[in-house]
Amino acid sequence: MLGLQPGSSTVVPTSAPVGHRFEPYDSNGGSIAAVCGKDFCIIASDTRQSTGYSIQTRYKPKVFRLNDKATLATNGFAADAEAMVSRIRQRLEWYRHSHGRSMPLHAIARMISTILYGKRFFPYYVYNILGGLDEEGKGAVYSFDPVGSYEREFCRAAGAAQSLIQPFLDNQIMFKNQHSTPEHTVPKPGEMSLPDVLKIVMDSFTSATERHIEVGDGLEMFVVRTPPSAQGEAIGAASVDLKAMGGVEAVGGEDEQEEGAVMVIRRELKKD
Amino acid sequence: MTSVAPQKSKSGFDFSNYSRNHFLDGKGLGGFTATSTGTTIVGLIYKDGIVLGADTRATEGPIVADKNCEKIHYISDNIRCCGAGTAADTEFVTALISSNMQLHALHTGRKPRVVTAMTMLKQRLFQYQGHIGAALVLGGYDATGPQLFTVAPHGSTDKLPYVTMGSGSLAAMAVFESGWHKDMEQKEAVDLVVAAISSGIFNDLGSGSNVDVCIIKKDSTEMLRNYVMPNERAKKEQKYGFAKGTTRFTKEHIYSMIQKEDVFEVGSTAPTPAPLPAAAAGAGGEETMDTS
Amino acid sequence: MFLTRSEYDRGVNTFSPEGRLFQVEYALEAIKLGSTTVGISTKEGVVLGVEKRVQSSLLESSSIEKIMEIDRHLGAAMSGLTADARTMIEHARVTSQNHAFTYDEEIKVESATQAVCDLALRFGESTEDDEAMMSRPFGVALLIAGIDEKGPQLYHADPSGTFVRYDAKAIGSGSEGAQGELQDKYRKDMSLKEASILTLRVLKQVMEEKLDENNVQLATVVPRVAKDGRPSGQFAIMPVEELKKVIEEM
Repeated sequence: MLGLQPGSSTVVPTSAPVGHRFEPYDSNGGSIAAVCGKDFCIIASDTRQSTGYSIQTRYKPKVFRLNDKATLATNGFAADAEAMVSRIRQRLEWYRHSHGRSMPLHAIARMISTILYGKRFFPYYVYNILGGLDEEGKGAVYSFDPVGSYEREFCRAAGAAQSLIQPFLDNQIMFKNQHSTPEHTVPKPGEMSLPDVLKIVMDSFTSATERHIEVGDGLEMFVVRTPPSAQGEAIGAASVDLKAMGGVEAVGGEDEQEEGAVMVIRRELKKD
Repeated sequence: MTSVAPQKSKSGFDFSNYSRNHFLDGKGLGGFTATSTGTTIVGLIYKDGIVLGADTRATEGPIVADKNCEKIHYISDNIRCCGAGTAADTEFVTALISSNMQLHALHTGRKPRVVTAMTMLKQRLFQYQGHIGAALVLGGYDATGPQLFTVAPHGSTDKLPYVTMGSGSLAAMAVFESGWHKDMEQKEAVDLVVAAISSGIFNDLGSGSNVDVCIIKKDSTEMLRNYVMPNERAKKEQKYGFAKGTTRFTKEHIYSMIQKEDVFEVGSTAPTPAPLPAAAAGAGGEETMDTS
Repeated sequence: MFLTRSEYDRGVNTFSPEGRLFQVEYALEAIKLGSTTVGISTKEGVVLGVEKRVQSSLLESSSIEKIMEIDRHLGAAMSGLTADARTMIEHARVTSQNHAFTYDEEIKVESATQAVCDLALRFGESTEDDEAMMSRPFGVALLIAGIDEKGPQLYHADPSGTFVRYDAKAIGSGSEGAQGELQDKYRKDMSLKEASILTLRVLKQVMEEKLDENNVQLATVVPRVAKDGRPSGQFAIMPVEELKKVIEEM
């Protein structure tokens, strides 16, 4: 907009010039969560990808199978997440070729940490949760911040609805603020059965969908466990017949060693 | 130009951004308004009158504050107003204009006209230079026939046969542009409004939950609250109850909520004084209420 | 052996018409000039032994360093141009530390050996601002001993960049005789103690001087459990007092 200044014959701009800056980041909404048990791990996410008030897609998975014993959930800036997952997968394959075996979970966790810290001053704007089985076959969850700080935990929620889901998991999985009474003993964290944890994860996401505008459309829950066929008699998480639940699919890859080690359970979420 | 940084308030309010905002304002970079337009509201004219529509989601940032709020506000029997923007502003500005419209009707002895409400709204919004964050769809049926307007927060108005407002306005307008035509039948018109609001509910994150519809004709106004409910919550997998005693507490106070009074009939035997409240508290027995 | 000199024995990056890289072959010859080095792998661990040529009575024998630690769970013994070995060991150490930093686990013995062999081939004539290259092949061979999840292992890495796993291996000037002796005396079920004694006996046979605690050095890698629960090893150079005892028992 141009205006004339009183007493002057020259045209003087009255509004400041508009500067255009490169904005390398976006936030694409959605939420992720992971919970581990004695011999299994559940890694879940909604499937909505959005920017501002717009939905970009109703189905964009945020959980990725890395190998038979590891899955990675990503949240934040989708483009960075995608670039990171490709890089992690490439590194896993290199490792497999140079060391002759799949990378164990704790090594993947450390590697992700170094990859993230490697971009300390232009970070991947991604919150990661790594879930799977450790070398003893126990369920494990590792959570990361965008610059590589990490920690092993029993459960973790991240993303848009972290503030809604984490307190719920703290109470229902870690039994925070629950105390034993003579009649009722509060269980220890990390000992819940696979079906019980699945229920809590599903309720976390249906509830987050109710109260967070960026969460919805679909739910994907990855279950990592020692597959039922591996032993003669299935015990623990392996004995749970997931296929009977419906919407269940085995997730394999080129590096699959045991069929059914990673399964995905899909559920609809509200679409408003 | 010198500006003095205000002292830190002891009241709990934080004025630390005042100087910055004042400085930016001086450079022509002002305008820190906190408005949210997370809503889809629509209106259209059909053969016999007006159909208004609204979603029922209220948000605070990305959080759903109310899953089933009412966004179609009463102005008069024959006029309704859909509101988008700051919830308080839409509620107060429509309630105020509703009152003034009633006074105006009493004063003139006539049925109120939609243009009157529209003029009152735009004058008020203009007076406040956009600080009243209300974006409105105003519709009604008066002596001049069916009337439909939009009023923007700064006070500008539009008079159109089909309108949309709020963050879902583009999604809804896309439906109107493809489906609206002159002299629609009522069912056709309501279905189109429902489709437009639904488009907002499903495609705009700021809108959601249910569809409210209002049909205003020459001699009747029908408010169809929750006309369509396409987003009912799925049943939870589990119930979340806690065993008694699960929550620990550090203090316990038991208050007596019962005040004893002795009532005597006038002219009967001399009264005996009621026990002091202090004595009643902690007296135990049936007077105490267990709040643990 | 190479009586006829040709144009092809000069450039490190030129094959002879017979398909040979003379400079690499000469490098392999350099090892045969080195002192004898022996390694034996058993179920109980791996032992490395070296002959230290004390050329002068004024020489402080403890300053001769022919066995080096690469990481807590692996080490290497050398024969040939020992100065070159420092570069190789340094590379193995950096690779091992880098692996531990990046993956929070101990590097496998084979992977560390592979890394050393990758370095062995980085000679040639560098072009423009290529990464710094070495002008000639290494003149040293290594016996790399360690324990990882695959158990105790012994690798032989030479200047051609080849590495092979052995149950028992001798390199250096007396390697021909020593290897024959190992062939006869090695048993799969021998104890680490027996392996240490065998190492010394083999060295004694090929050494010119009388073997004592000053002109030989022993190192062992014994089983240990890593912090992630995997089998691993503990490398240690045998202290002189202990070495003395083993020599007495011989």
